[in-house]
Amino acid sequence: MEDVQVVAMLVRRCVAGDAAAWEEIVQTYNRRIYNICYRFAGSSDDAEDLAQEVFIKMYRTLASYDSSKGALVTWVTTITRNLLVDHFRKTKQDRITDSLDAATSAHEDAQPLSEQIQDQSAPPDARVRSREVGESVHAALAKLSPELREAVILRDLQDFDYREIATVLKVPEGTVKSRINRGRAELARLLQRTYRQVM
Amino acid sequence: MPDHTSTNKDKDHTSNGMPCHEFDGLLSDALDGVLTGARLDGFQAHARACSVCGPLFAEVEAGRNWLKDLTEAEPPVSLITNILASTTGVDTQRLRVNVSASQPRVSWLGASWLERAQAWASGAMQPIWGTVRQPRFAMSFGMAFFSLSVALSVLGVKPADLRQVSLRPTAIRHTYYNTQARVVRYYENIRFVYEVESRVRELKRTVAPAERPSGEAAPEKKDHKNDTTQQPEQKQDRDYSQSGNHLILASAPLGPSVFDPLNQDPLNQDPLNQDPLNPDLPVVSGTTCRRLV
Repeated sequence: MEDVQVVAMLVRRCVAGDAAAWEEIVQTYNRRIYNICYRFAGSSDDAEDLAQEVFIKMYRTLASYDSSKGALVTWVTTITRNLLVDHFRKTKQDRITDSLDAATSAHEDAQPLSEQIQDQSAPPDARVRSREVGESVHAALAKLSPELREAVILRDLQDFDYREIATVLKVPEGTVKSRINRGRAELARLLQRTYRQVM
Repeated sequence: MPDHTSTNKDKDHTSNGMPCHEFDGLLSDALDGVLTGARLDGFQAHARACSVCGPLFAEVEAGRNWLKDLTEAEPPVSLITNILASTTGVDTQRLRVNVSASQPRVSWLGASWLERAQAWASGAMQPIWGTVRQPRFAMSFGMAFFSLSVALSVLGVKPADLRQVSLRPTAIRHTYYNTQARVVRYYENIRFVYEVESRVRELKRTVAPAERPSGEAAPEKKDHKNDTTQQPEQKQDRDYSQSGNHLILASAPLGPSVFDPLNQDPLNQDPLNQDPLNPDLPVVSGTTCRRLV
């Protein structure tokens, strides 16, 4: 996934105070970190804040990174996951736990999900339809339990292998596979239920 | 629709020679396409036959397909800037220009040894240069430069003088000897001053004993003024000195001729050496200058 020596050199430069090296790290990982945060938190504002927090924490603890123990991307993802779990615990009371019909994101329209999907039959163009489907899946993903959600995100959206996911989540590979399959099945059930309502 | 919890109940259920828990274990491999041969055949046969695992497999596959369609979200434009501002506090555009300018890409195949050396040196110096560019180090260098410039201006060194400095060997030698002579002269001058001071001090020391008795009276008076103990003064300032022409009586007889009872001739006696009170004893006159310490 990444050249270990190049990354190790980059980290060394960054720890030595090279601002350009730090910028290179930010450029490399910002998209990945933001996407994990966005898919997990469900909101772009939260994702931006969380991604920023991840990089601040990463900047402070970069000296503790040991390239012999694993890839930098795994290390960064572990930091991200821990922060996301903390965020999830903090915002537990504030979280919307309504059905899929509730609006979930600032990006999305105020319409319930079922109404959004209803427009699928007559979309203005394929791009809009794709965006709407994406939003539906995003909303359904937000309804999964955190354990299933993080496993599914890392596997199906970030293309991590099972070993890396096991390292990040600190669970055995068998548990990772089980969580991924349960998450996928749960997601399919949620979306099928919505489609059935629409139809 | 089969519930996932129902799969737990049917863990021991076996269809076509494969138990359900084994099917669960192979589910990920089957979806990833790594399952082949007899195991794949067994897996597919179980999915067709089992009323629980078959729909489960379909759901998992559908869920994965939904997620596959999900496109990557575009991060906000300000994200990188905000991250850099909150960590290093450095503007990203300026850095990007510096990086591209300071790190020219060198093709190792067509590059000369000088270019290679330069590329290697720039790579090796990069961490040091990055450290030096930190604001705190820039501040330190600024302070050092300021201190140096102040020191030079105090010493009277002007940058304009430096231009006129000749770097010829003879001129450098001449400057060296001049500087050395100046230093020696300065040192000698200091030594001369110290010698003069020490002589003056010695002179004062020799003159001081004669002046001190008169000089001691004044401080004693001051002490009286400052004395707040209300104690009666002790009369210790007794003057044992004998000033003027005190007469000292010699207690010892001068000689047998004086006290010789046999020599009673008044004609042999010196009238000047006779005490009027005691005409038998001789009188000796002497002046002493004793000082109480």
